[in-house]
Amino acid sequence: MERERICFTLNNSPVEIHCHPGERLVDVLREQLDLTGTKEGCGQGECGACTVLLDGRAVNSCLVLIGQVAERSVLTIEGLAAGGKLDPLQTAFVTEGAVQCGYCTPGMIISAKALLMEKQNPTEAEIKEAIAGNLCRCTGYIKIIKAVQTAASARLEG
Amino acid sequence: MNLRWIGKPIPRQDAWTKVTGEARYMSDLSMPNMLWGRVLRSPHPHALIKSLDISEAVACPGVVTVLTHHDVPGLNAYGIVVQDQPVLCSDKVRFVGDAVAVLAAESKEAAAHALELIKVEYELLPGVFDPEVAMQQSSPAIHAKGNVLRHSKVHHGDVEAAFADSAVVVEREYRTSRPISAFLETEGGMAMFGADGVLTVYCGAQYPDRDVIQVARALGLERDKVRMVSSLVGGGFGGKDEITVQIYLALLALNTKRPVKLVLSREESMVTGWKKHPMIVRMKTGASIDGTLLAHEVSIISDTGAYASLGGTILHSAMEHCSGPYRVPNVKVEGHCVYTNNSISGAMRGFGVNQVTFAMETQMDILAEELGLDRLDIRLKNGLKDGDKGALGSLLVTAMGPVQTLQAAGQTELWSQRETYKAEPSRPWKKRGVGLAAAIKGCGLGFRMPDFGAASVELLPSGFFRVRVGCPEIGQGNTIAFAQMAAEVLGCSVDQVEVVTGDTGETPDSGTSTASRSIYVAGNAIIDAATKVVELVEQGISARLVVDVEEVELGEAEVRAGDAILSYLDVAALLLQNGQTCYASGRFDAPKATEEVPSVYGLPHLVFGTNAHVALVEVDTMTGQVEVLRISAVSDAGRVINLQGLEGQSEGGAVMGMGYALTEDIIIDQGMVRTLNFNNYIIPTAMDTPPISTTVVEVVEKTGPFGAKGVGEVVCISITPAITNAIYDAVKVRVTELPATIERVLAGLQDG
Repeated sequence: MERERICFTLNNSPVEIHCHPGERLVDVLREQLDLTGTKEGCGQGECGACTVLLDGRAVNSCLVLIGQVAERSVLTIEGLAAGGKLDPLQTAFVTEGAVQCGYCTPGMIISAKALLMEKQNPTEAEIKEAIAGNLCRCTGYIKIIKAVQTAASARLEG
Repeated sequence: MNLRWIGKPIPRQDAWTKVTGEARYMSDLSMPNMLWGRVLRSPHPHALIKSLDISEAVACPGVVTVLTHHDVPGLNAYGIVVQDQPVLCSDKVRFVGDAVAVLAAESKEAAAHALELIKVEYELLPGVFDPEVAMQQSSPAIHAKGNVLRHSKVHHGDVEAAFADSAVVVEREYRTSRPISAFLETEGGMAMFGADGVLTVYCGAQYPDRDVIQVARALGLERDKVRMVSSLVGGGFGGKDEITVQIYLALLALNTKRPVKLVLSREESMVTGWKKHPMIVRMKTGASIDGTLLAHEVSIISDTGAYASLGGTILHSAMEHCSGPYRVPNVKVEGHCVYTNNSISGAMRGFGVNQVTFAMETQMDILAEELGLDRLDIRLKNGLKDGDKGALGSLLVTAMGPVQTLQAAGQTELWSQRETYKAEPSRPWKKRGVGLAAAIKGCGLGFRMPDFGAASVELLPSGFFRVRVGCPEIGQGNTIAFAQMAAEVLGCSVDQVEVVTGDTGETPDSGTSTASRSIYVAGNAIIDAATKVVELVEQGISARLVVDVEEVELGEAEVRAGDAILSYLDVAALLLQNGQTCYASGRFDAPKATEEVPSVYGLPHLVFGTNAHVALVEVDTMTGQVEVLRISAVSDAGRVINLQGLEGQSEGGAVMGMGYALTEDIIIDQGMVRTLNFNNYIIPTAMDTPPISTTVVEVVEKTGPFGAKGVGEVVCISITPAITNAIYDAVKVRVTELPATIERVLAGLQDG
């Protein structure tokens, strides 16, 4: 495969990689950059485990080719804790008991992050819609929804 | 009991690395020089292998090894109970997905390409897909020993006479579907040899010590040359109890002497993963005019697919629970577990109990209607109590919670105010209903299987205590419960305890993380070990500081010894540097019933958890669509160890059981799996999830750690019939076949 130089912003830092532009973003993240916080659950955009932010929007990284992110900005779960300080969503997921096996958690938090960047104080219906593309098999979603509400409140108060 | 940590909703310790993405699952691991593995699978449900040519694949650039049945050095078979599933098929394939070859290559691309170059010539055989057809003598034999894996019968009391005495007899046939665990992390991991010659297999799984036995047996290695690391697991639910890819990983690492990674695609997981057994359940139930259950005759035909795994044991579990949480004095039950050329059935959360409870709880509603009784009253009248006999005639001697749990369900707002909830549907053409159901589920492995817990507790030089338990953390949260139980005994704070699970190189064999058992057995073992460590610390400090043992007291952050106060770091330094061990192992052998149920191997269970569910649904009479609007769950877990964890189990279990009720089914057409991914295998999303409240009823089990029972399975069982009973309450459509799809409900509406 023909390799190309691809430059983009990853977790707020510039990166330069050499790979085929047709490789999937999820594979480049996990296998070349060792960022395994982004998970793969289905490979066809149904489960949301691989969700990352691309220019601030939640996308399934299994449906994005690395060539498409050139000169753009990608944020993964590893980049969410700015300066080592956890995002309120991360803290709320722990304290509210929203994490069980945890495999869906990174994608779930990233989808919720995209929502909270758009809406400071979302309704429950808006939260459910924002994470509707993120499957969780353990929790039944109740505590995940609560965690997003708690994080939104914490941001408003903080 | 004055408890400091037990019952508190303490957030789980392992969540912190899961929210940052630092947590490494076994399928996240990689090593320098690592190869990628793939499995070649049969495209046919039933065929003879006439020839197998790997030469082109071997010659393919980047391919390092291609292995077939010739290359399995030990026993070319696996299975928890019966080893009838080939590691790599030699002469015959029995389902679409049966493994024929494995290979390892330098890249995923090379591995995928080489897979296409393996040539297998098949001679197709007629397939058998209907278990009732498979049972017939004239059917093609899937295995040489015939197609019936297990046939068992139990009869106690006098069923015929009791039917004759019954005021009403209800007879129905129920058919259940084939859901799959659908854990978000598919089966996968990595294997490699260490410098010490030990083969380590990193693979998310539910019982690493048994995986060692199965891997070593297939590879012809000594067990001490194989190490299995199973935690973390991205979801199990029973589907990672049996071998998944461990033997393939081990074979490839053995042959290449390089690290090998293999992760199943979702499609491969859907085809080859363990499904819940579809069952045909015929039930005839008789009751007196006041609703007292008198007689129950049950026939179960269970489709185990191509291989045995736990099929026989699951059939027996279904038989044991065939009267649900109710007392019936006269029971006759017959079960067949049958091979077919469908994909394989095995353990999945509930272990045969979901199917029969769906049937029994529908029977109870029909009986109530025919007798003109209240649906709750008839259940309360028949609820099992301590001292009653279970469905197979065994005496129930432990804490039974059906009556208390049902009483609490009756007191939920959703039940007591059900007419109000039903009164105003969201659209004129929609109708609402409320359903009720309850379930029991045995905890642990029953009468025959060794059922023990083992743990160790150790004071580390850092001043922290380390708890080691074999049962892996599969997501259910047993690690935080283990930490709480250890801290409760030790006297220290929960933060002072680190828990390691699921690593045969590190942790004592404590049995499986299945069967709602890990807190029950391992918790008791932890109490044993921690009690010994407290004594070791007290005696050690007493000797070093020359104070009476009675004056030494372990506290949350420090240890008091007479007038002196020491940090745990000081304590560790004082004791360990002077050569005193602060390590103890603990053991718990689960108590067994005094006698086995005649003619069914391995029963009865001794300890049972109970759950009840109330569900509010709204049915669209134009389309047949069912929406669950609200769920009230009542959980009897014995003493609750972690309230947040219990709620998490309750909510997750309710939603999984809702999927079983309404949408989930692996569709197999002439052996071909048609539901290959989440686009048409529909599990509930956040949009489908209603508000769920959980009420706790603590029917304390005196043999449990601090009075706890297991809860992992029973939380997902009664919700299914609660929903289907609610559908009937709304639109008078009786659901006897799962799932209650739009099409089936609409057909029912049109028939009605």
